[in-house]
Amino acid sequence: MILPATLLTEVAGLLGILVLLSALYLQGQTFVDPTIRAIAAQSLILASLFVILFLESGDVSLLYLAAITAGVRGVLIPSVMLYQVRHFRHSMRESGTGQRVPSLVIVGVVMIIGGYALFKTALLPTLSNPAVSVPFVLVLLSFLLIVTRRNALTQMTGFLEEENAVLYAGALIAPSIPLLIEFAVVLDVLGVVLVGVILSATREVLRTLEAPELEQLRG
Amino acid sequence: MDQTILFAALLAAPAAGSIASLVPKDGVEVVASVTSSAASVLVSVCLFVLGAAGAYGPFYSDGLTKIMIITISSVFFTSVVYSSFYVKRIKEPLVRFRWYYALLDLFAFTMLLAVTVNDLGFVWIAVEATTVTSALLVALERERTSIEAAWRYTLIVSAGLVSSLLSVIFVYFSQGTLLISSLTSEPIRAGLLMPLAVGFALVGYGTKAGIAPMHAWLPDAHSEAPSPVSAMFSGILLPTSIYALVRTFDLLQGTASFEAMRYLLIGFGVFTAVLAAVIMGHQRNYKRMLAYSSMENMGIVLVGFSLGGIGAIGAAIQIVAHAFAKSSAFYEAGNILVAFGSKSMAEVQGVAARLKFSGYLFALSCLAVTGAPPFGVFVGEFMIISQAMSVGNVALVLLLAAVYIYGFIGLNRQSVLMIFGQGGTALGVSEEQPSQAQERLGENWVSVAVPLANLIVALAIGVYLSPTLFLAVQALGH
Repeated sequence: MILPATLLTEVAGLLGILVLLSALYLQGQTFVDPTIRAIAAQSLILASLFVILFLESGDVSLLYLAAITAGVRGVLIPSVMLYQVRHFRHSMRESGTGQRVPSLVIVGVVMIIGGYALFKTALLPTLSNPAVSVPFVLVLLSFLLIVTRRNALTQMTGFLEEENAVLYAGALIAPSIPLLIEFAVVLDVLGVVLVGVILSATREVLRTLEAPELEQLRG
Repeated sequence: MDQTILFAALLAAPAAGSIASLVPKDGVEVVASVTSSAASVLVSVCLFVLGAAGAYGPFYSDGLTKIMIITISSVFFTSVVYSSFYVKRIKEPLVRFRWYYALLDLFAFTMLLAVTVNDLGFVWIAVEATTVTSALLVALERERTSIEAAWRYTLIVSAGLVSSLLSVIFVYFSQGTLLISSLTSEPIRAGLLMPLAVGFALVGYGTKAGIAPMHAWLPDAHSEAPSPVSAMFSGILLPTSIYALVRTFDLLQGTASFEAMRYLLIGFGVFTAVLAAVIMGHQRNYKRMLAYSSMENMGIVLVGFSLGGIGAIGAAIQIVAHAFAKSSAFYEAGNILVAFGSKSMAEVQGVAARLKFSGYLFALSCLAVTGAPPFGVFVGEFMIISQAMSVGNVALVLLLAAVYIYGFIGLNRQSVLMIFGQGGTALGVSEEQPSQAQERLGENWVSVAVPLANLIVALAIGVYLSPTLFLAVQALGH
């Protein structure tokens, strides 16, 4: 190994913190464009982290995972989402939830603290890897994003963040788990179907991606 | 014959049908899909009759597997046949019909893969893949509501299923393998991660199975999808997700946390059944009403599997019987929709007077899905409540009895009003053109024969086949 193990661990920790900060930045956005760019950045940071984990463990599957994360969630899906935004020829902003965003950021911070406390009590004794607390908290933040936002594209970033979190957890907890690449591929195919096909149909037929129009079904 | 070949053939049939459906020639897609689904039924019957429990190459088989494959392939076959009547009435489909049939075949393929593969990781991949293959099917009718339902379905289910991926990771970390045959034959290493794995599986697979409170997608997708797709969702997709949950839950047997998780699952099952039974009777859309009935049935099935013993066998019987009865109800709902052009129960009244057979068949199907004797659902529900009695859980017995009765009254009262009531406001085709052929009114021989056949099977399960299914599940072990 060219780089010392302690340095790699420290870099991995730093990248983990950056992933968490990107999640908080996502929570704080009311416009859709920066949300999409933030999820792309988060995926690219995570891809770098997978490369570091590869350098630490030598497990080649982590390198493939890094390539998929960077290529699909870092570039492809965000590009399609930005294309959807450009179609409307104006900067899309959350309707309704915009005013609540600052308080949602506070909720996010509380979730980070509470999630870490929960992780430390319930999971750390078994997993014995404190770094897993980052993806654990990230899963909670992604759920928050999905359930509190009304714009379909922002909800989609929540889904991508959740996928990032679970693959991150998988790489930390059990990097030797079989099928990790396949898991990522299936999730990414689903992501492409969501943004490429369903959202395109939504845009064509409903002429909006805002939730008030996506609330026809009741009862 | 080596069962590996039969399992491979079972999966190859819908996969081949999907590819053949894409041949750009009119009519090929129907022939290919009908042939491949019929082949699936044939192979699943062979596996049911000939098979013994165990691992066969990449596949795993026991009583539950056999029940699932015969149910999936049968409802797949009837849905393909019914589609030949239904989908050509869709004016502006989202995708070409050959793509519809190709996706329908792939949808069945992914479900068959989920219930036959000997690896919890692949089970997760297959269940996730059912979302990929079925998302466009929900939006086929290209209406505002169907597209909204497709978005909601795909997003909620995918977000939920990522939780069950955590469950798979926890199982691997704590046990070192994902092979179902190894996990069931060797003692499980106890620890906190296994009950957590079951908890995450409950959230993930439970979302897809319509377990409350993660069920928000279910009534929308079931009511907005084309009727053959609704039938597959309700009859076989929800049980496939229950199967994945039960496989994970069963791993806890013999560990200290088994009882606690058993009561957690029973709690979620009862909550789902109670919630669905209460909401069902107040629906204004008859397809949504059927969707809530599916939720009620899945809640009861989850209770049955969690109770174990005769309750688990009852749950398996209920899965089969419900699949046939509910698919029949959705096909008839399709006939009614074609004839009246409305899903509103206020607008659709007096169906029996306008449609020669579908009204009566719909009423009978509603009786079947709500557990009226002697239909098969009744047998399953009876066995589940018997198990609750035998373990002395009086509160559960009373709750289940209340759900059965309230659900029965709620659904059947609405269906009787629809079928025999008067005063509906939907014009329907019949009032515009009273002399039109019966086919235009939502009935031809296919649209009547297919639901009738499924209803007869649901009845036969109650009258003749329950002992056979009972022995099959018991002898092959679960």
